[in-house]
Amino acid sequence: MLKKLRKSLIWYVFIAPTFFLYALFVAYPTFETFRLSFFHEVATRQEFIGALHYVRLLSNQVFLAALLNTAFLGIIFLLIIIPLSLVMASLLNNLRVWPNLFKAIYFLPQITSTVAVALVFSFVFQPNWGLVNGLLRQLGVNPLPLWLAEPRYVLTGSRAAVTILAVWVALGYYMLIFQAGLQAVPAELYDAAVVDGAGPLQTWWLITIPSLRPTFIFLLITGTIDAMSRFSDLWTLGGPAGTPARSLQTIVLFMYQTAFESNDFNLASASAVILFVVVLILTMVNFRSFLQREFSSQSGA
Amino acid sequence: MASTSESISPPRPVGTLRSLLSSQRNFKRLQQVIIFIIMAIGAIAMIAPFEWMLATSFSRSANVAMPRIPRFWPADPSTFNYKVAITNLPLVRYYLNSLIVTTTSTLGYLFFSSLTGYAFAKGRFVGKSILFIILLTTLMIPFEIRMIPMYLLMRQLHLSDTYAALILPFISGGFGTFLMRQYISAIPDELIDAARIDGASELTIYTRIILPLCGPALAALTVLSALWRWNDVLWPLLVISDRSLYTITFGLAIAGRSQGIFTGVALATSAIAILPLMILYLFLQRYIIKGIMLTGLKG
Repeated sequence: MLKKLRKSLIWYVFIAPTFFLYALFVAYPTFETFRLSFFHEVATRQEFIGALHYVRLLSNQVFLAALLNTAFLGIIFLLIIIPLSLVMASLLNNLRVWPNLFKAIYFLPQITSTVAVALVFSFVFQPNWGLVNGLLRQLGVNPLPLWLAEPRYVLTGSRAAVTILAVWVALGYYMLIFQAGLQAVPAELYDAAVVDGAGPLQTWWLITIPSLRPTFIFLLITGTIDAMSRFSDLWTLGGPAGTPARSLQTIVLFMYQTAFESNDFNLASASAVILFVVVLILTMVNFRSFLQREFSSQSGA
Repeated sequence: MASTSESISPPRPVGTLRSLLSSQRNFKRLQQVIIFIIMAIGAIAMIAPFEWMLATSFSRSANVAMPRIPRFWPADPSTFNYKVAITNLPLVRYYLNSLIVTTTSTLGYLFFSSLTGYAFAKGRFVGKSILFIILLTTLMIPFEIRMIPMYLLMRQLHLSDTYAALILPFISGGFGTFLMRQYISAIPDELIDAARIDGASELTIYTRIILPLCGPALAALTVLSALWRWNDVLWPLLVISDRSLYTITFGLAIAGRSQGIFTGVALATSAIAILPLMILYLFLQRYIIKGIMLTGLKG
């Protein structure tokens, strides 16, 4: 009996550090975010106020605008990146010259820090001499778009600029995931299609795309979660308020501004809880397919 | 009528087959050329901003007047902007900080993830599955949701403005443990049992048998952890205000938000932050891409 306990003791020793850190940096802070969201600070003392922060948030124009903006930027991004990266990945899959070189080049922005890329793009989108407008001027475009200085919902405003930035950064990653998915489509399906006399476009539409269902789900859900927690690039370009005119403010930027500029940790925690609920619902949907991904069997790929 | 004339005309199977083949070969070739052109246009779009950054950063006059037509080669090549960037900011110090933080937290992440992953894959102890499920909840709780109490905790522990603040929260994690458990589960039990019969302790089995077999998984985790830590800006923003502790990414972010007017200098600073990593990527890109594909996560 004692020997058996001693034998399993070693396993507890192995998992102890991880659980200690888990308690300190995951369990406790998560619990504390919930707790803080139901309190407010009165002269350095925390006082229970129930759901008041949530009521305040849901009638707060700035918060609602940030929520809407987060959703808007996320949806536009996904609507562009998913078809674009699928087409590009399918093309690259059929290319026989330098496919790996292209793969490496497209992945380049992904390994560069978001901050550095955003900083470079603040110059790329400069209205008078930036790279984009300089090229547009050469093409005779007049008047030139304002990009990051235009807060309205237009095709060449700040939201468009940060969407182009996000697509440019993420394209290589999305293509890589699609390529992995493409390589997993059983070859028999293609052979059968050729026997049935299907052309390449028909094959792509009727066989490739339906077979990529798990990849679509994976990318849609991780993409949505990423979009929900978007921060670094927008903070670099527009600061905590998402300048100009809060057109770039997302929930996490709102949270940051509320906590660290207005010093209202309680209200910021309530907005974190709302973010949590949204992300949780999305993750739950993803969880099953995520667990089913066979990591070990992919090791040779 | 048509069918009659067809049957009358002498069949030339060899000729049609040959012309069919050659037209198909031409079609394939044309297809390859079109795909290549599309991919090349995309590749140019990927590289152009970086190239433009470099060209501008080497231009002496970029701080005063930018050319109206974008230049991909500076009209007045000079290293002036780089000299200013290096004098303005302690960039070497920032790099050193990034190296310290990234290396330490990645080593910790590899060690604790694999150790815990081994216990969950091959260990036998009470509460194993429930503990594993508890750990997996980490995957559902994004950092942003925990960051405010984490910041308050760091302040209470007097760890703000220390390396520990940048390292400790990240030396172990649900994802790393999950990945290692999945990977180690696939290692045959016979190998471990044989070592046990020979009297090896679990720690010996972990270091001598498990770790050497986990190469691909450890490499993937290294890539992810290194990219996460190197590129992180949100957490340093909360816990670091001492300039001597800035990482290169964080230092660039702060500098970029304050000295944005000097185009040449700002872009030279960006180049200093970007280029070394890019050169490293050139050498390691196969492993990095493999690591990303293995986990499905990005940096």
